[in-house]
Amino acid sequence: MVKEFKGVMMPTIEFSLKDLENLLGRKIDIDELRNNGILFVKGEIEEENEDVIKVDIKDTNRPDLWSVEGIARELRGHYKIKEGLPEFKIKKSGLKVIVDKKVENVRPKTVCAVVKNLKLSDDAIKQIIQLQEKIAQTFGRNRDLAAIGVYDYDKIKGPIRYTTFKSNELKFVPLGFSKEMTLGEILKEHPKGKKYGYLLEGKKEYPIFIDSKNNVLSMPPIINSNYTGKVDENTRNAFIEVSGHNLEHISIALNIMVTALHERGGEVYSVEVNYGKDKIITPDLKPRKAWMNIDECRKILGLDISPEEMVELLRQSRFDAVISGNRIEVKYIPYRNDIISERDIMEDVAISFGYNNIEPEEPKFFTHGEELHIEEFSSKIREICIGLGLEEILTFTLSSKEDLLKKMRISDENLIEISNPISSNWEVFRNSLIPGGLRFLSNNKHVEYPQKIFEIGNVLKMDECMETKTKDIRNLSIILTDNTIGYENISSVLDALMRLIGIKYSLEEIRHKSFIEGRCASITVNGKKIGIMGEIHPEVLENFELERPVVALEINLDKLMRITS
Amino acid sequence: MYELTEEGRKYLKEGLPELKLLEEVKKENSIKNLKESVENFNIALQWAKKNGWVEIKNGNLVLKKSPSKYEMYELLKKIDKREPVSDEQIKILLKRNLIKKIREDIEKKAREFVGKEITNLHPSLIKTGLWRDVKFKKYNVKAVGKPIYPGKIHPYQKFIIKVRRKLVELGFKEMTGPTIETEFWNFDALFQPQNHPARDWTDTYSLKNPEYGNLPDKKLVEAVKRSHEENWKYKWDEKKASKLMPRAHDTAISPRYLFKGVEIPGKYFSLVRCYRPDVIDARHLVEFNQLGGFVIGENMNLKNLLGLLKMFAIEFGNTDEVKFLPDYYPFTEPSVQISIKHKDLGWMELAGAGIFRKELTEPLGIKVPVIAWGIGLDRLAMCSLNIKDVRELFSQNLLWLRNSKVL
Repeated sequence: MVKEFKGVMMPTIEFSLKDLENLLGRKIDIDELRNNGILFVKGEIEEENEDVIKVDIKDTNRPDLWSVEGIARELRGHYKIKEGLPEFKIKKSGLKVIVDKKVENVRPKTVCAVVKNLKLSDDAIKQIIQLQEKIAQTFGRNRDLAAIGVYDYDKIKGPIRYTTFKSNELKFVPLGFSKEMTLGEILKEHPKGKKYGYLLEGKKEYPIFIDSKNNVLSMPPIINSNYTGKVDENTRNAFIEVSGHNLEHISIALNIMVTALHERGGEVYSVEVNYGKDKIITPDLKPRKAWMNIDECRKILGLDISPEEMVELLRQSRFDAVISGNRIEVKYIPYRNDIISERDIMEDVAISFGYNNIEPEEPKFFTHGEELHIEEFSSKIREICIGLGLEEILTFTLSSKEDLLKKMRISDENLIEISNPISSNWEVFRNSLIPGGLRFLSNNKHVEYPQKIFEIGNVLKMDECMETKTKDIRNLSIILTDNTIGYENISSVLDALMRLIGIKYSLEEIRHKSFIEGRCASITVNGKKIGIMGEIHPEVLENFELERPVVALEINLDKLMRITS
Repeated sequence: MYELTEEGRKYLKEGLPELKLLEEVKKENSIKNLKESVENFNIALQWAKKNGWVEIKNGNLVLKKSPSKYEMYELLKKIDKREPVSDEQIKILLKRNLIKKIREDIEKKAREFVGKEITNLHPSLIKTGLWRDVKFKKYNVKAVGKPIYPGKIHPYQKFIIKVRRKLVELGFKEMTGPTIETEFWNFDALFQPQNHPARDWTDTYSLKNPEYGNLPDKKLVEAVKRSHEENWKYKWDEKKASKLMPRAHDTAISPRYLFKGVEIPGKYFSLVRCYRPDVIDARHLVEFNQLGGFVIGENMNLKNLLGLLKMFAIEFGNTDEVKFLPDYYPFTEPSVQISIKHKDLGWMELAGAGIFRKELTEPLGIKVPVIAWGIGLDRLAMCSLNIKDVRELFSQNLLWLRNSKVL
């Protein structure tokens, strides 16, 4: 339940406070925004630099809030400037987009719109580009599920065809370039081609939007053309398309784009998208319906609020809401993607109410607490180790084949391996604690001797019988090093440990490549092998660049605990 | 040189048997009775008679005289203090087995020190009493001792133990699960759709070996599949759900317990390592500890959730200055983040939480609300241990470990 390591997902957006004020139609300062504003859109202010504000929007399921236009629309409700369902009038543009059957195996779906009478400020253009990027990146999963193109409509002559061309069949000037390139060249040479080309990998033909004068609009999801696909403060009328695989998904992206432009004063016009005989009119901003149970809402929130208050709170969240028996029925604009069931509506009631206006109340029932048995046992073993003068270390469970195998002179272990490691230092799970301990010693050669360390931690092994084909095992390792030290020293430590937990054990000479022959034993209790002990092989010491003798033991604490209990 | 035997030492402490007899005779004359009350009566009688202290009359002992000092006892004192005694007296004492000769090599060793200034007090000097004849060299008592390094619990481990104890005190039961999970438990059982960005390889690890695990109970799999397909509207893939991965968050453990059956009402927690690919720096590790769990009960609600979080702020953050922020998790609704005001660091995130969605709990057979919560333990430990770089929590620096404070 903690996101701090998940930076990739959460959209961070940047906007100017002045721009927000203009869109809101009222003054707002940074403190009001922080304390009674940004929380309504699940945001958190990350940075403020004079007029520019950086905000994390934590709801990855509300892409309509990833721009200042969407934020302003929501806040107008909470500031009671404009509550209830936003209104959008859509006129017909008369433009047709003909979808060729050939796109079916490449990138099958598109939805489109026209927005007219735009007067885009610098801020507005920045916002539109940012929104387009964030949606394509997060909601569109790096342009795979949704890629958005915005074009200068005045340079386009309809109808537009959405079709495919072979790599060398077509040339156009990609955005930001000055020379014509073939589709293949764009994929190989253009920065966007290099970045997103994998999305078209293995396709025989590439998707293209092209108008009736054979001007190329774009090759989705890679790049627009330089001629039609450049939008700036002089653009008055815009054509917008979203391409992808699923109509419902790309429709949300389109709706977010056009409603954001609507906030900027643009007039929305529909487009007829023809799939053979089937035609759809997009964008579709008809309100959707949902409901929630009033009593259930009170129960889940723990708030004693009337149905009328719920209606008011929902209207502030830009729902249309009416009481109908024991329910509240709501309508919302389908730029929202997050309403699966009544809980989603209840959360909006709570957010409108303000989480910080709710009086926290601890759960009052009584229960018995209990730690895991293995943790309790580990604590006892830890106590003995401390008494033996050993210092506890803590290392990672992820390790390298180099450390676990090669340096330990082992060649044939079946290790649990990660398929996408960030480096070979973190590619496999440890199956023993000793290599990590040796690495620790090699990092501390300059520190005063003797060095006597121990670690209690999990190691992982393959186990066909388990649901996850692997098994966690709690191990203990003890490692001693000094100018002179030998097998008898580690053997004394083992003896003390076993005596203090009251267990009889036996030692059996075994051969193990990491230890010196004749100085390595298996530790057996009740006929069960529970560990290994010995003097580390000099070649292993060399591999870890250690210059003093080392003795070590490793014991399976899960087994030991079972024997003692 | 001579030293006292065990018997000699006993008599030095308690008095010789004839002296004890003398005391008894003052109260009691019957030999029969005295035999019972006086230890080593025969020896005592022999020496008391020899010394002319008592005589036997009609089966009774009669006191003749009572000495103020007894030579034999004085001899024992002298031997103990290594004062000289005559050869004749030595003979008597040896015969009575009250003294023995000190080993010659020990005496020889001790004599080597006599008259000298010594550094170490040799055991032979104590044994022979010859310490009286040596001088003790003076130490510079202000000099600081050479450092020694006692056994110690790792500072982070100590913190983890403290947190675990605290949760047990608060009535939470500990849960655990496998480090390697199927995507089913890590994602699907938590209602995270298979096309969710968080399941992309950029955000979580997957396994090369082994690659696939088994799915659990068929009915459960069927229910989870239905919940996904009806609500997220896509075709759920069983094969993808059985893919193995290192646990990416502790919340993966909760659905296992909820399905297996838990006490209702009940409180549960887990404290485990989790794994996510990331660039390693002062704030990020690829392996980290998470603390999380849930509280389940018929009447649990958002108010209780906030109450629980505030309690954590007091217990773990030492502050009741808190702020609640609306948040998003695919598996909870409503969702909330709690931030606390740290005395030095200002506002910081403490925990994420929410009420598990019905779309998640119902397939697991749970009919009552479940409040789920999670705390980034590494960050909390850094604040508590005053560490600026998260890598130091797993420090490879023995010197740092040796010098870190226990309090």
